[in-house]
Amino acid sequence: MTRSTENRILATPLVLFLLVMLGFPTILDIIYSFSEVSFENLRSPTFNGGQNYISILNDPEFWSASWFSMKFGLATAFAECILGLVLAVYLAPIIRKNTWMIAVLIMPMMIAPAMMGLMYRLLLHEFVGALPHYMFYWLGDSPAFLSRENVFTTVFTIETLQWTPFAFLLFFMAYEAIPGEMREAAAVDGARGLRMFWHIEMPMMLPTIAVAFFVRFIDGFRVFDNIFVLTGAGAGGATTSLSIYIYLSFFRSGEIGNAIAASVILFCVSFLALFFAGRLLRRSGA
Amino acid sequence: MRTVRKLFYGGAASALLLATSIAQADVTVLGWPGGPEETALRAATEIYNARAEVAEDDKVKLIFFSRDGFFDKLQADLAAGTDAFDANLLATYSIGRYAPYMTPVSLSEDAADVFGESVLKTMQFDGKQYGVPTDLSLHFLYYRTDLIEELLADESAAAKYGDISEKHLGVRLEPKSPDDWTWQDFAANALYFSKAVNPDSPTRYGTVLQLKNLLFNIMVFHSLPRSYGADWMDADGNITVDSDAYREALKMYKILVEAGATPKDSFSYEYAEANSAFGSGQVAAMIQWNAAAADLTDTEKTPVTADVTKTIAPPTGPDGRFTHVHGLGLGVNANGKNPDGAKAFIEWLSTEDAAKAYALAGGATGLTSGVVSDIANERPDLVPLGEYASNYGFVMNGGTSAKALSVYELQAKEFTDYLSGGKSLDEALSATKDGMADLLN
Repeated sequence: MTRSTENRILATPLVLFLLVMLGFPTILDIIYSFSEVSFENLRSPTFNGGQNYISILNDPEFWSASWFSMKFGLATAFAECILGLVLAVYLAPIIRKNTWMIAVLIMPMMIAPAMMGLMYRLLLHEFVGALPHYMFYWLGDSPAFLSRENVFTTVFTIETLQWTPFAFLLFFMAYEAIPGEMREAAAVDGARGLRMFWHIEMPMMLPTIAVAFFVRFIDGFRVFDNIFVLTGAGAGGATTSLSIYIYLSFFRSGEIGNAIAASVILFCVSFLALFFAGRLLRRSGA
Repeated sequence: MRTVRKLFYGGAASALLLATSIAQADVTVLGWPGGPEETALRAATEIYNARAEVAEDDKVKLIFFSRDGFFDKLQADLAAGTDAFDANLLATYSIGRYAPYMTPVSLSEDAADVFGESVLKTMQFDGKQYGVPTDLSLHFLYYRTDLIEELLADESAAAKYGDISEKHLGVRLEPKSPDDWTWQDFAANALYFSKAVNPDSPTRYGTVLQLKNLLFNIMVFHSLPRSYGADWMDADGNITVDSDAYREALKMYKILVEAGATPKDSFSYEYAEANSAFGSGQVAAMIQWNAAAADLTDTEKTPVTADVTKTIAPPTGPDGRFTHVHGLGLGVNANGKNPDGAKAFIEWLSTEDAAKAYALAGGATGLTSGVVSDIANERPDLVPLGEYASNYGFVMNGGTSAKALSVYELQAKEFTDYLSGGKSLDEALSATKDGMADLLN
C-alpha cells in the first residue's frame, strides 16, 4: 500500500464526518435560504428565488443589527487588545517570577458567556446587586447601567472584562518568545523603555496582535449569549446583534427562510473577511 | 459462570420490567416542566392511571423537557410530525401556532360549569376547543397596606398628592383605597411614592414597570389599554392598535418612566427583577402575575414586605376592569400514536373531580365559584383567580392566532422603543400597526 493510499484511507472517516456534519446542513441551509419555508412546511419548502435575500437586505433591522455587531466587534476587539497588550508588557517581569498569576488572570475566560450575562444581571440589579448597593451607600445614587443610553457601554465593558485575558495570554507568550539577544543588541545600540518597545518588541509581536484582534473581532461580532441573557434584544432592539436577529427571526417570528438567508450572508461576509485577513497576514510574513 | 447467569437473569428481568412499563404507558403526555404544574400533573395522572375503567393501553406516562426554549422546541417537534407524545402542553398565545398539528378535543359535559366560559376560551382557536385549561395566569395589583393606610390617614399628604397628580397627570386626585383605583389613581400613587417626584416618599419608587423587550411584559401592560377599550382587531379584522386606548396607556407609562416612578433599569426588568424590587421594600405597588403572590406574601421568602402586601384585581378604566388572562393546558397531538387515549385523558381532566384534584396538588386552575368553594380552605388563592378570570379576564381579538406570539414580540419591541425614547408615539404605533397587519391578515 502506497503512502498516499494509506493517507486517503486514514482521512476517509474524518472527511465523511465533515460531509455529514457540515456538508448536509450547509446544503440544506442554501436550499432553505432560497425557499419560502416555515415550521409548517419544513419538509416541502417552496422555491422563491432570491426573495429572502431581497427581503433581508431591505430590512432596516438587519442593517441595524449588523451595525451593532460591527460596532461591538470592533470596539471590544480594540479594547481587549490594547488592555491585553498593556497588561502583558507591564506585568511580564512580575509574572516571570510568579507564573501562577497567569491562572488567576485568565479565570474570567473559564466562565460561560451566558453565565456571565446572568451574573451581571444580578450584580447590576438595583435592589439585590452589589454594585448599585455600594454606589447608593457611598454616593447616594447609582446609574442606570442597562438604560438605553448606557447599555452599549455596559455590555462592552462586560465583554472586555471577560475576554481581555485571552488577548493578554497571547501577547504575554509572544512577548516572552522575543529572543533575549535582540533586546541586548538593541540595548547596546541605546534603545531603552518605550523606544525599545515601539521599535523592537512591538514589530515582533504584530502578527500575534493581528491574530488576536481578528479572533476577538469574530467573537465579538457574533455575540449572543451574554447580551441575550442580560438585556434580550434591548429596548426597541437596541442590543440586537446579528446573531440575536437571526435567532429571533428563526424561532420567534418563524421566518426560517429569512433567518437562514441572513446567516448565509453572515457566513459569506465572514469568509471574505477571513480570506483577506489571511492574505494580509501572509503578505506581512506572519 | 454464576456471575454471567446472574447478569443474564438480571438483564432479562430489567427488559421485562421495561417492556411492561412501556405496555402500561401507552398515552405519552408532554407536560410543563418544573414548578407546581408538573407536581399537579403527576398527581392527577396517578389518580387517572389508578382508575379501573382506564385500559392498560390507555395508561398515561409523562415526559418533560427543559423550560428553556420550550415552545420553540415543541414547535420544531410538532412541525416534524413527531409521534413521541400523544398529548402536549398548550398555551393560549401559541394555540394558533400549534393548531395545524393538533386535533380538537371534546371536554366533559360539565366543563363549562367547572371552568367557566372565559377560562375555556383560553384554549380555543377558530371556534374549536384545542385543549383542557389546567393552569391560569393573570394579573394582580400588589400594594403595600401600611403605606396606603398611612397615606389615607394623613390629611396633609392629600394636598401634596393632589399637587403631584395635577402636575404630572393634568388632573387633581385624592388618595383612595386601591379597591377603588382607576389607572390614573395607580399612576398618581406611583408618582407620590417616588423619591424623584416626592423626596419625602418612604419608598424609592412608586411602582416597578417590567419593560424588558419581552413578549410576557407586554401581556402585563395589556390590562391597562384594555380598560380604555383597546383591542388588536375589530370584528372585520382591521388592526385597531393605533387607537386612543393604546395612546392613553402608553402615554401613562411614559409619564411614569420619565418622572422616575419606576426603577432606572426597568428596561431590563422582567418577572424576577420586579419581584426583587417590590420585595426590597422600595416599591409601593405594582402589576404582576398571580404566580408571584405565593412568594411575595410568604414571610420567609419576602421578609421585608410580606406582612403588608395585599393583592387585588388591576385598576379600572373607562371601559371597566380587566386583566389579561392566558392559560396553560393540554391538547392532542394529531400525529400521536394513541390519540383516542389522549382524548380520553383530556376529557377526564375537564371533569370536576379531576380539576379539583389537579388544583389541590398545586395547580393554578381557574375554577368557577361553585367549584372552587369546595377547596377554598386548602387553596384560598384560587378563589380570586377564578373570580378575576370570570369577571375581568380577556383575550385580545387575535390573541390565540398562529402569529399571536409574534404580535406580542412586535409590540414589545415597538412600545419599548417609544418608552425608551427611540421613537415617537406616532412612529411606534404606525410600525406596530403595519407589522400586525402583516402578521394577522
